[in-house]
Amino acid sequence: MRGGRLLSLLCLLLAAGPAGAEGGKPAGTLRGVFIADPPTLDPAQATDTTSSAVVRQLFDTLVELDERLQPVPALAERWTVSRDQRVYTFVLRPGVKFHTGRLMRAADVKFSFERAARGKRPWVFEKLVGAPAFIKGAAGEIPGVRVLDERTVELTLEAPFAPFLFLMAYDAASIVPREETERLGAAFATRPVGTGAFRLKEWRRDDRVVIEAFADHFRGAPHLERVIFRIIPAEITRFNDYKAGNLDVSDIPTGHCRAVKADPVLKGQVAIWPTLGTHAVRFNVEKPPFNDRRVRLAVAHAIDPTAVVEGLLEGCVIAGKGILPPSLPGYNAAVTAPGFDRARARQLMLEAGFPGGRGLPPITYHFNTGDLNQRIAELLQAQLKEVGITLELRRLDWAAHIKVVDEGAVTMFRQGWIADYPDPENFLTVLFHSRNVGAAGNTSRYRSPDLDRLFDQADAMPAGPPRIKLYQSAEQRILDDGAWITLYHYASRALIRPSVKGLERSPLSTAPEFLAPLRKVKIE
Amino acid sequence: MSELLEPAAKRVLALLPVLLGVSVLVFALTAVGLGDPARAMLGQRADPELVEQIRRDYALDRPIHVRYAAWMARLLRGDLGTSYHQQRPVGEIIAERLPATGRLALAATGIAIVVGLGAGVAAALRPGRLLDQLLMGAAVLGISTPVFWLGMMLSLLFAVLLGWLPVSGYGDGAWAYLVLPALTLGAIHTGTIARMARSSLLEVIRQEYIQTARAKGLAEWLVVAKHALRNALIPVVTVIGIGLADLLVGAPLTETVFAWPGLGRMLVAAVGQRDLPVVMGAVLVFAVIYVFANLVVDLAYLVIDPRIRRGR
Repeated sequence: MRGGRLLSLLCLLLAAGPAGAEGGKPAGTLRGVFIADPPTLDPAQATDTTSSAVVRQLFDTLVELDERLQPVPALAERWTVSRDQRVYTFVLRPGVKFHTGRLMRAADVKFSFERAARGKRPWVFEKLVGAPAFIKGAAGEIPGVRVLDERTVELTLEAPFAPFLFLMAYDAASIVPREETERLGAAFATRPVGTGAFRLKEWRRDDRVVIEAFADHFRGAPHLERVIFRIIPAEITRFNDYKAGNLDVSDIPTGHCRAVKADPVLKGQVAIWPTLGTHAVRFNVEKPPFNDRRVRLAVAHAIDPTAVVEGLLEGCVIAGKGILPPSLPGYNAAVTAPGFDRARARQLMLEAGFPGGRGLPPITYHFNTGDLNQRIAELLQAQLKEVGITLELRRLDWAAHIKVVDEGAVTMFRQGWIADYPDPENFLTVLFHSRNVGAAGNTSRYRSPDLDRLFDQADAMPAGPPRIKLYQSAEQRILDDGAWITLYHYASRALIRPSVKGLERSPLSTAPEFLAPLRKVKIE
Repeated sequence: MSELLEPAAKRVLALLPVLLGVSVLVFALTAVGLGDPARAMLGQRADPELVEQIRRDYALDRPIHVRYAAWMARLLRGDLGTSYHQQRPVGEIIAERLPATGRLALAATGIAIVVGLGAGVAAALRPGRLLDQLLMGAAVLGISTPVFWLGMMLSLLFAVLLGWLPVSGYGDGAWAYLVLPALTLGAIHTGTIARMARSSLLEVIRQEYIQTARAKGLAEWLVVAKHALRNALIPVVTVIGIGLADLLVGAPLTETVFAWPGLGRMLVAAVGQRDLPVVMGAVLVFAVIYVFANLVVDLAYLVIDPRIRRGR
């Protein structure tokens, strides 16, 4: 597009014509469910999956991820990437309308990104040239976002960043109409206006969110006329409502997975698929006794994750050894981790100067409130006792837990991780780079100059096997160092009525929120 | 009527220090409690600089007494502040939930008074008989059954198995949606009222003036309704007032089980999110409701028993 500077890489893709998508008049209602009321429907302010689940239906992004997690055109009908991997030029679809009827333009992209960069997820935009200064309030704009003409926008990165297109598919990067955000101010969070296939019809707090088909969506009207998200906090109530025929999709309550799979009626409605998360036991490696690698490895050898996977979770999650979940690019089935081996655990305790656990003070294990977490903690307590390690359990609610974990006030703690986008950088760099120590993700407070260099190198490399290989080597080194113990990889467990067709079960979509595009869903 | 106004006014004035004390206590608890509202707002991955900026924006970096003074100054102007999470006025958030909680509390109280009083009177009239034992057994069951469990069982039976009533939700305010939550929330209260009504009525029935009324040939129902019940009501009214605390305590659980969009559920969520303005606002509303309910109870004493009014 811009002479020799740009390498025309891809994607002349067909903008599906208006009649296409889904053709015909929208019909039917999907009855979904949320665990909690969404705090906001403003993409710049959302930080939780419930808000994101609605935001993704009301707004569009420049690109979106398909079921295989590959970026495909959305508001941008095509894009090119420069030879140095720093400049992305997006050409927008013509004729895209906001729910108000106004046409979307390239200026809306710049406005939306700058607005969201000062929202709750600034890290989505921090790779753009000049973004850090803008986020801090030291600059009036992000120079890395340039409007070239009505339909073309150019994004320039400080340095190459392979997962950048994934960030452009993230709901924080949704496009909003400037005039509506300015007119409504904070009320935009309750009266959102986007370009999405659905628009907000009704929001009764703590009761329901109703969205309805937007007939002028650029892909054509969705199949569904309406989606009702009931807000039901108790999982057993959601289950009862599903059984009573009041919901079309729901999650499977903890402890009911095996029973549901054996139920003659429900077993045909069970859907279990891997998602982008890992449940882990972590250590503060700066604090004794876990500043000693031998003690960390002793704990790792003393834990039997199969008791969690098979015993507590009824085999409805995915057993694993590595940090990266199987659905994430970079997953390494051949990765090795300290396995369950009590004799080895005792030997390591001896080498660390705690024979049979003698001399080792009780260790406080922090975890956040939840029946499953409580049961896992009790199991760990029993398993570690076998090698002479005394675990004291400390249960806090999420807000209190995350605070003590972020501040490094804990020694051993539960903390899972769910990738925001499907790239190993979002797991390994975020969780183990020394610049992210604390709230930014590295709550293990792990510092390794060698690994930092490796992460910096991999993050800037173009996608492909050499880059993946670097992450896999980092993952192996972290596991060998005993800095992380995987208990299991997350799986989404859902009940979906046979009449519901087209509901994507991508690794990004988790029950009961279903972050999948509902425009593809139809009720038969 | 003027005999009622003066003691009522005194009691209203006495409420002010109570409410002030509640506000200080709750503010202090939320301030010293673990967890950072700014961090809780940002999900699993938080930019430390953004956390600090939010703390500054919401004045969370200022000393607790300064924050309390600012909160109180706004409160005196009728402003409960703005929710950290929802970015909306707390007054608006509470006003959305108040009708649902009000309906539930009134229905639960109504059920508790009617059923509890009826059961207590019926049991007292046949002490030691099978009916008495059955009713008092049911009352003990109602008092001792955890709200969460009772709600789930009622829901399973009447909604899932029999399909007579909805499992959960508010509907569009339809009565069918209110039945199970109100029965669940009213259960403890019903049992307490029934037991108190029975024991109080038994005590009154044994007194000489009741024997006199019977000797005069009055019908038994008239003796109970006109002479015994009125005197037996004082302790029952006290229990009704105290029982309101049970309703307030039970409301979050009942609202959670039945996905009822009320204040209790909102309060629990706000505590989890460390949304301090919402927590303060909700607790203050609960305190006002509780204190005013007790005021009504105090006034009821004056109406029921003229001797109290006259200071005897």
